Amino acid sequence: MYRSHTIARGALLLGAAGAIVACNSDTHLVIPTVNNNIFRSYVALGNSITAGYQSGGINDSTQRLSYPVLLANQMGTRFAYPSLAMPGCAPPVNNLLTQTRVTPKGYPASTATSCYLRNPSSVTAVINNVAVPGIASADPTAPVGPNANALTELFLGGETMVQKALDAQPTFATVWIGNNDILEPALSGLPSTATPVPTFIANYAKTINALTTGAPGLKGVLIGVGQVAGTPLLFPAGVIALSPAARGAASLVAGRPVALDSATCAGANAAALIDFQYLIAIRYRPAGFPGTIFCQPISGGGQTDLGDFLVLDITEQATVAATINGYNNYIKAKADSIGFAYYDPNVALAALRANGAVPAFPNLASAQPFGQYFSLDGVHPSGAAQILLANGLIDVINTKYGTTLRKLPIS
Amino acid sequence: MTFHRFVRLLVPFAALAMPAALSAQGFGLNEIGSCAIARGFATTASPCRDASTIYWNSAAATRLDGWSVVAGAASISLNGSFTQDTTGRRYDANVPTSIVPHAFVSYHSPTSRAAWGVGLYVPYGLTSQWQDNFPGRFEAKKASLATFYVQPNVAWQLTPNWSIGGGPVIARSTVELIQGLDLSAQTPFPGGPTFGQLGIATGTEFGRARLKGSATGYGAQVAVAGQPTPEWSVGARFLTPVQFKYDNADATFTQVPTNLVIGGTVQAPFSAGTPIDALVAPQFAAGGHLVAQKASTTITHPAQIQAGVGYSGYKNWLLEADYAWIGWKRFHVLPVNFADTTLSRTLLEDYNNSSAIRLGAEYTIPTDGWKLRAGFAGVASAAPAETVTPLLPEQDRTYWTLGAGIPVMKTWTIDAAYSHVATPGARGRIVERTQPAQTAAQLNSGVYNLSANVFSFTLKASF
Repeated sequence: MYRSHTIARGALLLGAAGAIVACNSDTHLVIPTVNNNIFRSYVALGNSITAGYQSGGINDSTQRLSYPVLLANQMGTRFAYPSLAMPGCAPPVNNLLTQTRVTPKGYPASTATSCYLRNPSSVTAVINNVAVPGIASADPTAPVGPNANALTELFLGGETMVQKALDAQPTFATVWIGNNDILEPALSGLPSTATPVPTFIANYAKTINALTTGAPGLKGVLIGVGQVAGTPLLFPAGVIALSPAARGAASLVAGRPVALDSATCAGANAAALIDFQYLIAIRYRPAGFPGTIFCQPISGGGQTDLGDFLVLDITEQATVAATINGYNNYIKAKADSIGFAYYDPNVALAALRANGAVPAFPNLASAQPFGQYFSLDGVHPSGAAQILLANGLIDVINTKYGTTLRKLPIS
Repeated sequence: MTFHRFVRLLVPFAALAMPAALSAQGFGLNEIGSCAIARGFATTASPCRDASTIYWNSAAATRLDGWSVVAGAASISLNGSFTQDTTGRRYDANVPTSIVPHAFVSYHSPTSRAAWGVGLYVPYGLTSQWQDNFPGRFEAKKASLATFYVQPNVAWQLTPNWSIGGGPVIARSTVELIQGLDLSAQTPFPGGPTFGQLGIATGTEFGRARLKGSATGYGAQVAVAGQPTPEWSVGARFLTPVQFKYDNADATFTQVPTNLVIGGTVQAPFSAGTPIDALVAPQFAAGGHLVAQKASTTITHPAQIQAGVGYSGYKNWLLEADYAWIGWKRFHVLPVNFADTTLSRTLLEDYNNSSAIRLGAEYTIPTDGWKLRAGFAGVASAAPAETVTPLLPEQDRTYWTLGAGIPVMKTWTIDAAYSHVATPGARGRIVERTQPAQTAAQLNSGVYNLSANVFSFTLKASF
């Protein structure tokens, strides 16, 4: 998931001769060993979550927190990621309301377009984390895919994601592709622009076939697409009516009092999911224009419709869920057909929702307004959630392959 | 677009020099005469009784009566590989079998205290060659060095038991090095980031450099040989350093297509879809840095000292033990200069003096005069842990040798020898060392394994 526009990466004489030639110890010849030989070379394909994107940006600090890095550590295998020079590309946001970004002392103020390129010391022949923020199912087999961005070049250097993964001669792979086929359309409230399931299936099959053909005997895990409705960037419209605190906070962000439109938000329609950016959009409404939140289209739909853009009504929610289920049914079937494990991240996500770990409305007074499991962009997992993801993967890997990877401690 | 880090091309030139120098001690072109090979190179005190003594102990030429003519060659087959840490992948070297000739003529009148002669031998030489996919090809894809030494020799019998000898050395060295050019280390514009920082992977070959040059050097070898008792013999030789100035080497460059395109827009001119080959092509054209030009460097082959003790007190047996020392310490840095001064640089070598123990034995079958020989040599590496490279993956090694001398009629003898060279393996690097502070732990990324098989035949005549 990656949103470019959201708020949110060696006899005596004989003895003497022996002494001369025996000064090296064999211990320095040892090549690193791994937990299990199937993990000799692990690659992670994916998008922003896999790359380690957080809070609308990415840098070495966030990259090292990504689940593939954590997983590789448990595997005991060498794992290189394309470290970005600090403060990043773009530097992550460090304040939800002000949208200021990480700016080291002596650096110009970071913006959403700031990019400090790759860390020179990280430039290697082979990287293991080949995930690129922003890419969707059509991108991994194309040198310049439809969602190519600066990070595509900085991470893949002109190769396709699959080529880059194959450069590592992988024995194990995790693939988490597809979130961006639906994320942006869903967050924007325009799910009809999502990648159709048949197109997704064709794209996904092309990627997986290229990967498995290039690395015979490859083992791994295919990861299902996350249900967008579970991201805390979306809040249910009804919370504005029910919670004075939420209403107050929303009004603060919107720069004016906000209220639900009584006509479009009535009854079940109050379950419409509103993108937090909707509130920012209200801020830019003309002076005197009310801070009304609409829960259904009011003017034919589309980006100019205040009740459609950035609003995921209940019908659209069903559409989004069905589309994602269509993606995930294929991913699961594909995993089964190639002997991979399948991991559904939505189980853990739903559990977080259920236990209240994900707030219905961002707590603007908190340093973690979207809860401890989501970063400041309300979409990308925090380091804590990356641990949960790694542990979830460890479970399915151990079950599928009979391995003994140890889970990470949960902080 | 200006490329500012083609200083890396200096590495090739380092290659020019190093293999030659190293091979004398390190990688071992001690293959000078089949008899000496079979005796584990332990032939300073009791040299083989032929004109090859001009090299092994020039003073002992007074022990030969009449004419001695020697000619032969050694065939050296090298097996090498590099196993990369990161992938566990093994890359085999692709080294062609090398034929190393030797020829000597010596004359000593039994009534004279002087002996004269001349030797042609190859004390240094190396060919290292790797496959096209070897990740260290940017240090060396192919390195070829041949150094011919011509040594006129005079030996003088001081007393019935002691002689001295020596002569000047005129040496000619030819070198060739082919090296890949790594795009990731280049900077697209002054002060700008490297292509690596723009995502180009280390080991992205966008060009190939070929350096070829020759030089003449001068030196001398002196020796002393003694036989204090009928059973014991002693000897020592000293070969001076020989300096080669490769002042007029030819450097040529060829572009290699990467077939890459910029994967996503970073900043102009790095826009999505732009072919990288088009971006770098101007560097290979007139006005670019990677055009045919002259290059130069100076390499001094270090001094060699070898001394030994021989014993023939056991009937039909000859035993010898030698010690050899090579002054590699002086091989500290290697400056390389190109016509395009932006490419010039100084390579860090930091070699250490090295030592070798050489043990040999020879048994003469009394009935027919056949000589059966065997030997062993252990050689310590001159290169520090941070200078084990594709050009010369220098490491400790052992030589196990055997051979025979077969008389043919009264005048002729055929010597044959076999030698197996074994190494323990050594960690090494495939990238350039650019800073003295860089340690082996930081640089080395795999294990080099080397072994070699040497077959040598020599035909010699005494009359």
